[in-house]
Amino acid sequence: MPVVRLAVVLLLVLTACTANSPEQVRLSVLATSELADLGPVLADLRRDTGVELTMEYRGTVEAGTELANFDAAWLSTSRFLRLRGGEPALSTSTMLSPLVFGVKAGKAARLGEQPSWADIADHAAAGDLKFGMADPRVSGSGMAALVGVATAAAGTGAALRTADVRCDRIQGFLAGRAFDAPDVIEEFVRRQDDVDAVVAPESAILSLNASGRLREPLKVVYPRDGIVLADYPLMLLRPEKRDAYDRVTQWLRSPAAQQAIMDRTRRRPIDPAVARTGELAAPIGNPLYFPDSQEVLDRLLAAYDRAGTGRQIVFVLDYSKSMAGPRVEGLRQAFAALNGFDRFYVGETVTIVRFAGQVLDERSVTVTRKEDVDALLAVVASDDLREYTAIWSALDEAYRLVHGDASIVVMTDGENNAGLGLAEFLGRKRAAVPTYAIRFGEAGPGELGRVTAATGGRVVDASAKSLLEAVREIRGCR
Amino acid sequence: MDEPEFRVVDPLRRFLWWFSPPAAIAVIGLILVLVTGHVTGPLKHITVVRAMLASKREFFEDEQVKRILMANGYQVQITPVGSFELAEKEDLDTFGFVFPSGQSAADRVRERRQGQHAIAFRPFFTPIVLATFREYADALVKAGVAEQQSTSLYYDLDVDKMVELIDSGALWSDQGLDNRNRIIAQSPDPCRTYSGAVYVGLVAFARYRHPPAGEAEAVKMGRELKPMFDAEGQHGEDMAPKYFVPEGRSFAPIAVIYEHQFLAHQIRELERNGRLDDQRVLLYPKAQHESAPELISLSPEGDEIGRLLMENADLRQRAVELGFHVLSPGGAPEIDFAGFLGQRGVPVPRSGSGNTETWLPANALLKKMIGEIGDCRW
Repeated sequence: MPVVRLAVVLLLVLTACTANSPEQVRLSVLATSELADLGPVLADLRRDTGVELTMEYRGTVEAGTELANFDAAWLSTSRFLRLRGGEPALSTSTMLSPLVFGVKAGKAARLGEQPSWADIADHAAAGDLKFGMADPRVSGSGMAALVGVATAAAGTGAALRTADVRCDRIQGFLAGRAFDAPDVIEEFVRRQDDVDAVVAPESAILSLNASGRLREPLKVVYPRDGIVLADYPLMLLRPEKRDAYDRVTQWLRSPAAQQAIMDRTRRRPIDPAVARTGELAAPIGNPLYFPDSQEVLDRLLAAYDRAGTGRQIVFVLDYSKSMAGPRVEGLRQAFAALNGFDRFYVGETVTIVRFAGQVLDERSVTVTRKEDVDALLAVVASDDLREYTAIWSALDEAYRLVHGDASIVVMTDGENNAGLGLAEFLGRKRAAVPTYAIRFGEAGPGELGRVTAATGGRVVDASAKSLLEAVREIRGCR
Repeated sequence: MDEPEFRVVDPLRRFLWWFSPPAAIAVIGLILVLVTGHVTGPLKHITVVRAMLASKREFFEDEQVKRILMANGYQVQITPVGSFELAEKEDLDTFGFVFPSGQSAADRVRERRQGQHAIAFRPFFTPIVLATFREYADALVKAGVAEQQSTSLYYDLDVDKMVELIDSGALWSDQGLDNRNRIIAQSPDPCRTYSGAVYVGLVAFARYRHPPAGEAEAVKMGRELKPMFDAEGQHGEDMAPKYFVPEGRSFAPIAVIYEHQFLAHQIRELERNGRLDDQRVLLYPKAQHESAPELISLSPEGDEIGRLLMENADLRQRAVELGFHVLSPGGAPEIDFAGFLGQRGVPVPRSGSGNTETWLPANALLKKMIGEIGDCRW
């Protein structure tokens, strides 16, 4: 009997302690899909604060259209909402995670010690690196990856402007994309034998490594030239839920909850005082500044949609005797400099027409791997320079070789003095293919100008620096 | 088979048998709570005061400040909002008090409350500064833009030269750092925040050496300054929380914040780790702007909060510990700020404390200028 009595007393005392426990409330939350890993943390939250979060999961980008139906939103970032002027007034950052590449250890070694976005794009374009990323129309991480690679490609060291978005420069990177499934982590697990990497928040990569579901663990790569950080703001949508919202944010930002979030989900605490442990102690590098314009994002998405549509680029190269020496050398250097963001990429068809008084050589390659590009470089390396310059005949041949979406680049230093005449060339009926000319030395801009302008292209002077720029522009999206 | 047994039970005795022990514990608990002074809840009436605050909400979010206010019967429910937004909010009248970060927003609030309850209190001030990291400050010294003060945490910044450097498109890597980003300072959104707006004023004055004479000139200046602010990308509201996390460098190498945020961080670091954070340092613009924010009370409860801020010794001491320069009711600095920092072991910054607000354009012109720079929704 005394034992029972003691037990009852204890029970009464304990319930007395929690008698003033807060009122039970439910908050409907539109949450970014990654937050599905917060389950145990949310259970603790409910126990301590009486607030139950009923989470519905969406991608951070697509979530913007559904806010009206929820009490709160918990996305990876408020940046997309802010761009559309729809950022809720109350917003509290809860934790941090940078967007990173998780790369299989073996492949990571080939990327070098601290690869940049350009290094990653280079390997992706060459077919050396196949990765999964989330669909940028849906997911914040997919969009952040697109912004990251485009900002790095623009190379201005500042936030992207509309004019900086040159879709050709991210096509190579996108050539490495193996899938853009809604749940990139699950898809990667399924396809881990034939995919090398996945673009995802650091927390997702570290958790995946710890899950034991991978045959080869992923190395976390923080692109050296800049990273995008998610800060997971919890945003109040219905002002009448303010009390519950305050209870939740206060609890989430308490040191104990911050510690629990870090231990269980491998996200970094927003509280500077909570020490980052283990892999999270590593610094993550420089920022990439986020564009302040929806138009920039729309352009990026347009470039994203165009990716992998198998474009063709035809180079018509003058190997007449007058090109000997620095000119042909400059031409070779321009080709050799096409790496990083400018590399010929998997799926792109590259055709080279070498000419003097007649067509000397033609070679067409649809890139599937790096060695294919080497074969093209061998054609450019030829020392076989001959008499005469048959520009229009060579160009006519180039048009014959075009299939589908293409552009043509003529590189020459002379006047046409063999083969087809200009009038005859212009008289022939053919599909309009944008044609550009890179002009060395004394080549007259007049006739080249007429021909290129008629196709929507133009003539570019080939100084040492402009050659690479010209090739970049020529490969650009129209 | 046993006979059924009957026992006579005294109901009162039985009740006491069960009731006394928990009751005793409850009484002891109550006495303990009373003695330690933590009585809240049903025993004392707490008035909840709704308030709109910009950057100064950090003061009211501080646990000690909350406790002191609670002991005086008040709880402040904070609605965080940028100063300029605050002044234009439709539901302004529903708040007990508002606390915009700068003068112009406070003026606008007073204008809207003409003929109604609006009492101003100026409990403290704090200058706007540029916060950075040691290696970035050193790079600016190398570039001839900054000079280290006599103590290690602070630098004097020549804003004119800094603006020239930014305009030139220079990269951090040009100064030997492993960062190919342009040299820029990230400011909070000038459309919404006072510190962002002051940074625009600071940069404009460095470039033009005079405030705009009229609307047309303000617009012209704004247009010319726009590319510099566009380079920063999307602006946030308050840079400080992200500057102080260990990943701060990955948000922005230079962030426009308030001095009190930095000092409070250093004081916390000392309390926690026994040493200063020598990686985070401040750049003090030579032409300085000190914001003396005004708490504007819109209700009797708001008056009480204002009065407590001006008179309660604990609150005023706590304000100093949070890095603010505390002002007396007459507007003079009250608590010995340098003395306090020195005693805590925080180096004392040398900051211009004269009246240097003259370079800031008049409110209407500043807003005109900012309207050209950002996509402001006002």
